[in-house]
Amino acid sequence: MLSINNLHVEVEGKEILKGLNLEVGTGEVHAIMGPNGSGKSTLSYVLAGRDGYEVTQGEILFDGKNLLEMEPEERAWAGIFLALQYPVELPGVNNMNFLRESLNAVRKGRGEQELDAVAFMKLVREKAASVKLDEKLLKRSVNAGFSGGEKKRNEILQMAMLEPRLAILDETDSGLDIDALRIVAEGVNLLRSAERSIIMITHYQRLLDYIEPDFVHVLADGRIIRSGGKELALELEDKGYAWVLEENAA
Amino acid sequence: MKHSASNWITDILQQQDLPPVSDWLSELRRKARDQANQLPLPRRKQEAWRYSRVDALLKQSFTPVVQPPNGSGLEMPQSLSPHVLVFVDGWFNPALSRISDLPQGMVLGSLREHLDDASVKAHLGSLANSGENLFSALNSALINDGLLLKTGTGTEVESPIEVFYLNSQAEQPLLSQPRNLILVEENSKLTLVEHFLPGMGNAYFHNSSTEIHVGEKARFSHYRIQDEATDAWHLSNIHLVQAASSHYHGITLSFGGKWARTEYKTRFAGEQAVCDLRGLYLVGDQQLSDFHLDIHHDQPACHSREQFKGLLHGKGRAVFDGRILVERIAQLTDAQLTNDNLMLTRDAEVDTKPQLEIYADDVKCSHGTTVGQLDPQQLFYLRTRGIEEQQAIHMLCAGFAGEIIEHMHLPHLREQAGERLRRTLDRL
Ligand SMILES: Nc1ncnc2c1ncn2[C@@H]1O[C@H](COP(=O)(O)OP(=O)(O)O)[C@@H](O)[C@H]1O
Ligand SMILES: [Mg+2]
Repeated sequence: MLSINNLHVEVEGKEILKGLNLEVGTGEVHAIMGPNGSGKSTLSYVLAGRDGYEVTQGEILFDGKNLLEMEPEERAWAGIFLALQYPVELPGVNNMNFLRESLNAVRKGRGEQELDAVAFMKLVREKAASVKLDEKLLKRSVNAGFSGGEKKRNEILQMAMLEPRLAILDETDSGLDIDALRIVAEGVNLLRSAERSIIMITHYQRLLDYIEPDFVHVLADGRIIRSGGKELALELEDKGYAWVLEENAA
Repeated sequence: MKHSASNWITDILQQQDLPPVSDWLSELRRKARDQANQLPLPRRKQEAWRYSRVDALLKQSFTPVVQPPNGSGLEMPQSLSPHVLVFVDGWFNPALSRISDLPQGMVLGSLREHLDDASVKAHLGSLANSGENLFSALNSALINDGLLLKTGTGTEVESPIEVFYLNSQAEQPLLSQPRNLILVEENSKLTLVEHFLPGMGNAYFHNSSTEIHVGEKARFSHYRIQDEATDAWHLSNIHLVQAASSHYHGITLSFGGKWARTEYKTRFAGEQAVCDLRGLYLVGDQQLSDFHLDIHHDQPACHSREQFKGLLHGKGRAVFDGRILVERIAQLTDAQLTNDNLMLTRDAEVDTKPQLEIYADDVKCSHGTTVGQLDPQQLFYLRTRGIEEQQAIHMLCAGFAGEIIEHMHLPHLREQAGERLRRTLDRL
């Protein structure tokens, strides 16, 4: 589904990703772990198409198509979803309206019919309940004044509504207490399916207790320096990042 | 026709004889005429006119409308309200208006028909000062007609009253000068909506003066929607006084005109009064919107909130001059003023000047202004959710403006405002 080959990315003239390779097959769950500043969020932004991230070498193929030629909204239509590490506040933009605009834009982009108001309301209620998001938050401005946990749940709600083919979760676990983490993880697990791939970016092993990955990768200094099964995460937890970094240097 | 600046006012004043009125009003007119002849022309050197270009206005000659126009070509505006009042070139037009049954003791209609009422005599000109500047003198010097609204005490009017100021078609630019008097008396509750629209006019000067008295414990919601013609000048001068425990809730949306200025002068006549003043301006090429607020806290324990937002596109220009004065006696004042501007282009320009002048020591006052562009992070976020860039820009602008519009408690006005905004944004 996703194929990243020798990806080099510069931000403001500084090279952040330095030859990254990653293959994600349909239905697979990949965890990307790594120390702060190693380029995890940069990778997620490049996948979503944010401005200011210059790809100097390499390619990204999504279903065989060149992802780098697509606008952010076209990527969303194609089925890419990024849950941001820091969800953006949109004062004055009603959350419910935002969800409807978003869902209908994506459906239109996919050549599907827009949902009518009744069907939409039914869907949003059901999905909000599945991530235990208070319906009051649907009436407020998007993320404005939400707690950290509410923002993350709102991201998962959007994901549940849009039903992406590839979901990238950037530190969706950070800043959550154990209850909130469990709710978010349940929401993600509900979306696991044979047709949907997930990339979970995380700093901690903790999330992987709740969402079991098929593959674990270590990203350090702009490259994936080690890949393995879920046992790699446990080893990392045990020995810390220093261990892989040293082994890699050796 | 070109005019030297000093001739501008004399030309207007000598054009025609006014229809006669009672002695007391003739006297008011005469005094204002003297003032108009003596007052200096608004100049950039004067602080209140520093950022407002009036040069073009003062080069244009205007014909005052001294007889009721016939309103030809105009239709009764669409309105859900049982009370619709239409003023053409400043004159009440009964044929285009409809006033349904009113509560006992309430007066609603043409000021001209009530010039000898004691309450009109007592209040007309009691707040508005014809010596304030040339334009207020001009309004008073040619007083003919305008809106009179007097609720009577303890009157709750359920349906909003909708007023439309329209203009006639004319070869020469006309001068429209409604003179409005609004008395929302003790314990009354009322919503007034004023629409300032072109009608058949294009180049005209709307120079209105409105005096508002809000009585004790009265609640007055006042929505003003300015959407004048592209070649029109608009000046609204509003004076407001609030008695104890009253609530004034005012929102002005400024969309049209090439030069549109709104002046609010408010003060209090009792404690515990609340004044909410909000505004939204949308300006583009060839447009200037100008708001001047003078909020005078001269009574203890009153609360005022001034929230103004501007959306500027093209080469649009805006001026915001908001001043809060808290007198020594006005302890426990709570006053907050904000002005936020969203600049959609580099060529747009805003001059924003908030001022707090505080002489009391136990008060809560603040002011803040911002001038910013669309946030690229917000745009990116919307686009990752499948929303195209243009639509994302609309949503963010609508969200920005929505923080003013949402305070209008009439759903059809919120919809109209949203629609009006969309029409402009769609063309960008
Ligand atoms: N907008 C930016 N401008 C400059 N440097 C940036 C920007 N975004 C990220 N960086 C730098 O890129 C590196 C990787 O950042 P990031 O991708 O956020 O790492 P991670 O998510 O793994 O913590 C860091 O050194 C960071 O300082
Ligand atoms: Mg990060």
